[in-house]
Amino acid sequence: MRAGDEELVRLAQGGNEQAFEELVERHKQKAYHIAFDFCRDREDAKDLSQDAFLKAFVNLKNFDGRSSFYTWFYRILVNLCLDYKRRLKRSPTDSFDETSEPQMERSHEPSQPRSPDQQVLTRQMSRRVDAALQALPAKQRTAFILKNHQGLSIKEIAELMQTAEGTVKVHLHRAVTALRHSLAEFV
Amino acid sequence: MQLLSPCTNLEENLVLFHYGELPPPERFSLEQHLSGCANCTAYLKDLNALLPLTVKADEPPETFWMDYSRELRHKIAEVRERRFWPARFAAFFQPRLLPAFGAVVVLALALTFTLGKRIWQSDELPREEEALMEVLPVAEDLDFFKTMDVLDNLDVLELMANPGAA
Repeated sequence: MRAGDEELVRLAQGGNEQAFEELVERHKQKAYHIAFDFCRDREDAKDLSQDAFLKAFVNLKNFDGRSSFYTWFYRILVNLCLDYKRRLKRSPTDSFDETSEPQMERSHEPSQPRSPDQQVLTRQMSRRVDAALQALPAKQRTAFILKNHQGLSIKEIAELMQTAEGTVKVHLHRAVTALRHSLAEFV
Repeated sequence: MQLLSPCTNLEENLVLFHYGELPPPERFSLEQHLSGCANCTAYLKDLNALLPLTVKADEPPETFWMDYSRELRHKIAEVRERRFWPARFAAFFQPRLLPAFGAVVVLALALTFTLGKRIWQSDELPREEEALMEVLPVAEDLDFFKTMDVLDNLDVLELMANPGAA
């Protein structure tokens, strides 16, 4: 029978290395995809999600089980992603550059060959979406990504963000309104 | 492009409706409203068209995941190695070892102070020092004996000067 996360956490807290590796295997893909949604860069998403696992490993003894491992771990990850965004804003060399090709384009294997016009249009839209998402305040962006990209429930997002469900709804509504205005030309 | 504005009081519910997060009573009510409101219907249509465009899923190849796990194992091993020696050092200060550690410190301090004050040294003096202690009083009395000799000599000189006086 497959052990639950909490059982694996208990074993890992007791020094069982395989138990922690099993937790990593279970959550690595979702962790990576959340990180990718925030940073839109494959290498950065890998580093961020791995850093979250390392931080969880180091602090595992402090995990008291008041929330689920899932919530605890993804809270660590989202905080790292938000820190990453903050660092990016402070670093002028990493700022959004119209002349550079977004990493997102390189990360995707096109399912069908596209015409040069289509490629330009897709690239332009990707840039606009990136810029629009980056322009959102951290809480709105977090609520939006976790709902729109990851499909988490409002309740799960509220637990993860340690806030009320009503507050999450407000953040989500404001994020959607802002994106609708920023990306109006694509509607 | 001119965006149509939905009914202000329903905008948040429209977003929740789009995500399937609106509870049944409000959902039914909104569905009824939508059948008669062009602006709210257009708003919902915008969301349906626009929001999926913001999602850019990335599906790395299998080799990426193998590298991912291997790299992470390596990083965890490094962290474990870095934590090993400080942890061993910190183990001395764990609560269960504190009394023993405290006892050793107290014992060391006690020995340092008592040895410094020669509490543990014997009161008996070594043989050479004992002999010296016997001689010292005699040496202190030497001047007295010298004085006595001078007085004796004075008596002899007086006898020589006045032989009749004896």
